[in-house]
Amino acid sequence: MLPSPRSVLIGLVEIVRSGEVWTHTAASLVRIVIGFGAAVVVSVLMGLGAFLSRAVRTVVRDVLAVLNSTSVFVWIVISLIWFGLSNWAPIFTTFMITLPVVASNLVEGVAGVDRRLLEMGDVYRLSGGEKFTAIVIPSTVPYLIAGMKVGFGLALKVSVVAEIFGVTTGIGYIMNYSREILATQMVFAWALVMILIMMATDKLVFDAAARRLTRWR
Amino acid sequence: MAVTLEVAEVGKDFLIPVIDRVSFTVEAGEFVCLLGPNGCGKTTLLRIIGGLEPPTRGRVLLGGEPVAGSDRHHHRVGVVFQEDRLLPWLTVRKNVELVLKPVGLGPTERRETAARYLGMAGLAGFEDYYPGRVSGGMRQRAAIARALAVEPDVLLMDEPFGALDAQNRRIMQKEVRRIWRETGRTIVFVTHSIEEAVEIGTTLIMLSARPARIRELIRNDGGTGRAKLVDDLNTIIMEEVERQQIGRPG
Repeated sequence: MLPSPRSVLIGLVEIVRSGEVWTHTAASLVRIVIGFGAAVVVSVLMGLGAFLSRAVRTVVRDVLAVLNSTSVFVWIVISLIWFGLSNWAPIFTTFMITLPVVASNLVEGVAGVDRRLLEMGDVYRLSGGEKFTAIVIPSTVPYLIAGMKVGFGLALKVSVVAEIFGVTTGIGYIMNYSREILATQMVFAWALVMILIMMATDKLVFDAAARRLTRWR
Repeated sequence: MAVTLEVAEVGKDFLIPVIDRVSFTVEAGEFVCLLGPNGCGKTTLLRIIGGLEPPTRGRVLLGGEPVAGSDRHHHRVGVVFQEDRLLPWLTVRKNVELVLKPVGLGPTERRETAARYLGMAGLAGFEDYYPGRVSGGMRQRAAIARALAVEPDVLLMDEPFGALDAQNRRIMQKEVRRIWRETGRTIVFVTHSIEEAVEIGTTLIMLSARPARIRELIRNDGGTGRAKLVDDLNTIIMEEVERQQIGRPG
């Protein structure tokens, strides 16, 4: 039997009123920001390598293909072995799952930089740095934002699963706990919280950034 | 300052020989049109002159200095490609200002120079538009303004009006001719249109079918009537096209 929408809403109001919603959301978001943030940084480095060398691009693509096809569960197991029951397990899992999504987008963007524009830069003798800031960055930023948008949604979903193991805060922990004590309506209340977070970041962060950066379109 | 351009025994092989052996000299301030049947290597020759492509044989001298790679000589080259190659995320003004940085101009000078050449290209009032918001003809004019703004010793143009309709094409031919008179640049202009070449060039170089050699080099000083010149060149180009279709040894 599914809980009624009414009981889910009451549950939601309860956790908002008690402030519990903030503790667990904050705990999850901190982990996501660290894991996902690291994935974005590493993606940018990979994109840079892929831009500078064709050989690096091939290697990066292969590595990403492997990461892309590795299950979340594998990373959870590995991170529990490496980091034990700690914050680092969900952070590492988030990192490993979002890295291939953000990085493959960026590498495709880098590969898609219009060679004809770079040649124009050569004709007018723009320095490497000038070509990079004037041509490469603007052509790849839309790919990065698209990758981050998908990646962040994934980070939220994955970190929640990873939080089932070994931590005592976070949306994933509390969802699993609610399930165990048979407070199924709370599982759905927390799912609603996640949906709201996702929608808010999409609209307020990624869509806004994309609009700002592609005003010329 | 415009300089002499010397193309000496230049040849290029890709898998097959594309340019056999081409030599000619362009005096400072000349307006040269390169003509020839489709696929004869006109664009390749222009790219070699611009240092965008190394020649297999021979060399190109700009004011006596060899053009090899893109950074070795001290002369400035402006190129107008078949496509405008403007950066879509920069306004027309910023596109021009960007290429003035390596020239060594400060921000104020960059702005003034960009405004001057955009004005010359008939784009006054459109400086702050993004390329995507103006017409194809205006984009190509912005590309010409950008090429002129670096005050190049030689300006290379590769079928720059290919994408324009007949009306804009005629307008642009007049504009380029006027800008050439005003600035005195050395121009090498690739076109497949004989009428266009006769209309704007001071020297016409007709290349043969592949592998390219110089088939004719004509001073277009008005000595021969225009209509006759166009007729003659049409006859030559048809001969070359036939030769290309039949194919020939070597």
